[in-house]
Amino acid sequence: MSALQIRTEQITKDYPGTRALDAVTVTFDSGGVHAVVGKNGSGKSTLVKVFAGATKPTSGEFYLNDEKLHFNSTSDAYEKGIVTVYQEMSLVPFLSVTENIFLGHMPKKYNAIDWRKAHQMAKELLQKMKVDIDPREQISRLPMWKAQVVEITKALSLHPKVILLDEPTSALAQNEVQNLFEAIRALKDQGVIIIYITHKLQELPQIADTVSVLRDGKLVGTVNMSEVKNKQIINMMFGDVSIRSRPKDIHVQDEVVMEVKGLCREAHYQNVNFKLNCGEVLGIAGMLGSGRTELLRGIFGADPIDRGEIRIGGKTYKSTSPVKMVKAGVGLTPENRKTEGLILIHSIKDNLCYASMNITANGWIENKRKRNIFADNQVKELDIKLPSLEALCSSLSGGNQQKVVVGNWLNTSPKIMLYDEPSRGIDVSAKQQIFEIMWAQARKGVSSIFVSSELEELLEVCHRILIMFQGKIVSDVKADELNVNELYELCMRGEN
Amino acid sequence: MSTLTATISARSSKRLWIFLMDHIIELFLIILILGLTFGTENFMTWANWMNIFRANSLKGVIAFGMTMVIIAGLIDLSIGSMVGLSGVIVALACQNLPGAGFDLNLACIIGIAATLLLAVIIGWAEGFFQHKTGMPAFIVSLVSLGALYGLAGILSGGFPIANQFPEWFNQFGAGRIGGQTGIPIPAIVLVVAFIVVWFIMGYTTTGRAAYAVGGNPESARLSGINVGKTKIFAFILVQVLAVVSGLMTSGQVMSGTYSFGKGWEMDVISMAIIGGTSFTGGVGTIWGTFLGVIFIGVIANGMTLLNFDIYTQNVVRALVMFLAVLISSYRAKAKA
Repeated sequence: MSALQIRTEQITKDYPGTRALDAVTVTFDSGGVHAVVGKNGSGKSTLVKVFAGATKPTSGEFYLNDEKLHFNSTSDAYEKGIVTVYQEMSLVPFLSVTENIFLGHMPKKYNAIDWRKAHQMAKELLQKMKVDIDPREQISRLPMWKAQVVEITKALSLHPKVILLDEPTSALAQNEVQNLFEAIRALKDQGVIIIYITHKLQELPQIADTVSVLRDGKLVGTVNMSEVKNKQIINMMFGDVSIRSRPKDIHVQDEVVMEVKGLCREAHYQNVNFKLNCGEVLGIAGMLGSGRTELLRGIFGADPIDRGEIRIGGKTYKSTSPVKMVKAGVGLTPENRKTEGLILIHSIKDNLCYASMNITANGWIENKRKRNIFADNQVKELDIKLPSLEALCSSLSGGNQQKVVVGNWLNTSPKIMLYDEPSRGIDVSAKQQIFEIMWAQARKGVSSIFVSSELEELLEVCHRILIMFQGKIVSDVKADELNVNELYELCMRGEN
Repeated sequence: MSTLTATISARSSKRLWIFLMDHIIELFLIILILGLTFGTENFMTWANWMNIFRANSLKGVIAFGMTMVIIAGLIDLSIGSMVGLSGVIVALACQNLPGAGFDLNLACIIGIAATLLLAVIIGWAEGFFQHKTGMPAFIVSLVSLGALYGLAGILSGGFPIANQFPEWFNQFGAGRIGGQTGIPIPAIVLVVAFIVVWFIMGYTTTGRAAYAVGGNPESARLSGINVGKTKIFAFILVQVLAVVSGLMTSGQVMSGTYSFGKGWEMDVISMAIIGGTSFTGGVGTIWGTFLGVIFIGVIANGMTLLNFDIYTQNVVRALVMFLAVLISSYRAKAKA
């Protein structure tokens, strides 16, 4: 099998307002696993999209074995033998392994499906992956990692030259990851180029041959995995970042407003204990799947808790629900504002007043005048840019939508605010405004818990940061006492 | 310069388009009324209009409750069965309780109370199970449609229970205020129901919660809105209104008949949808449904005046519903 090579030359991709890829020149050869790493927004997913034909570069070229590639669609990329395995499963759960592998191109005989041949072909492909899976088994009965292997096998059935693996381990448990790696190593012998996108540095020594690091759309460098330590890669990922410091006048008070004791939701987080003080901004850091979002949702009652209790203002809650928590003075801005935080088809005014509905009304009867005042207050306070209060929420930009989500809660005069990824998908100045709002609330004595995958943000905004690893809180650090690289290492290793 | 004017005219034409889509029912209604006024002899008369109201109030009353149910992202197909069942229950009470020593008037009132209680229980059960299990409201209410219809058949033995009601019961369906040509009682009930539901939807926390629950149940839940309670309220409202309609229907002919109300769901849902209520939930007005009630009434009346046979009328009704849903999807697109 002849060697293959895919390379890019000065690839640049501009999106309105940002440059996602900035003159990236990189080469990947067959026979190895090439990891591409970088923090959120570094451009690694944009690079995948370019290879997969999902987006066109603004300038620059890329070649497969010196053939210049030009993709108008993902099917163009397929034709050239570049297949992508995305982190979200694209398998049909109630069909067999064989049917999933050959979905849309099942082998046929006399115009009917040739089942014997199909199962035989599937078996051969699976053997190449060195994994024991019965081709007749239903996908829904397989463990996650085996389903992920089927996904890769499905890609393999297209006889690809390049396989892009986009965070394939994000949904897998620790032992499953090892099994998947076995399969990926087997893939190396098939002579394909394997590009492996990940944010989990701890996986790199086990699976990667080379590592290419992206930061702010630029390629920082490509190194051989055998020659570097994780620490160097972290330095490449983050560079020398200067963390802006938060205003000095926000003081944590001694009074404890919330105490979480032994909180547990099987399979998500276990035995979580912490205290939250009045006026404190508490961060929760951790890798994707560490349980940080689930913990926040558990506290708010968005999802049920299995064990443990939460004490707020002298009351003990053994079970939680949003209705109870609103009464207790807790608010949550959910991770996904469009599907969980807002009602996009309703007006901005309505969206600003849903959580405070029972406060603005006189008993059962609405007080429209009071509602207008509440909505107006938040528009002024949070500086929401809007065409009119009656305009639909869907007409706002991401940053302003996020402010509406926050305003909806501030109208309830909360004592504790839970923010889940409040800065996701909004521009830099809007982010800063959201942080200003959090600080302004802290000055008023509101306590906050802030979950973010952006470590710099946590260091900038929070007084104290809890680090979660595989569902447990593994350390509790003062934000002033460590830098971004150290924080990243803690999140990754799970030990102090 | 020319691109600027083009943008402006594109924008204003979009606004005109949205305006047209928002008021297309009014437009159609005016055309329909004008056409029937000049096309038939008896359409534009007081007696005919009172007739339209008398005939359509029976379904129209339910349509307001249905509007709340649809706004909350649900549907209730069982209302027709409740119309028939409620008449049967009251008729049975009037038939049997006097034998046990009750006054006929009291027996009738006990029957009405029992059927209202049943409506509350059925509405609660529909809301409770829909919310707890996540079954589609379509299925939940299909179950009650079949079960209530069957129950009405069992209770009545499959025959109309005629001439058991006290005389005053007739007033519910056939009475008029202001003599022979006065305003029919059902029309007054319709207006009262309109005002009550209009107030609930526009001026109470429950009404606003219904819009939120239909608009995005997850966002509503995470805003601390009690989603289950809101759904249960909507189902109870529509069931109670179905009983009110059932009392008027059985009063009109002085008979409790299990098959009364059979197949009404299509007209009732049409009234709401024509009035601009969106099947996807979260959008709709009670005033729109009021227009929808008149619209369906005028069409039915017009077809009778023009001597359409009943089969053709069914086809036209189905087409009207299709048109309403079509307009509603265009309306959503115009705003996008």
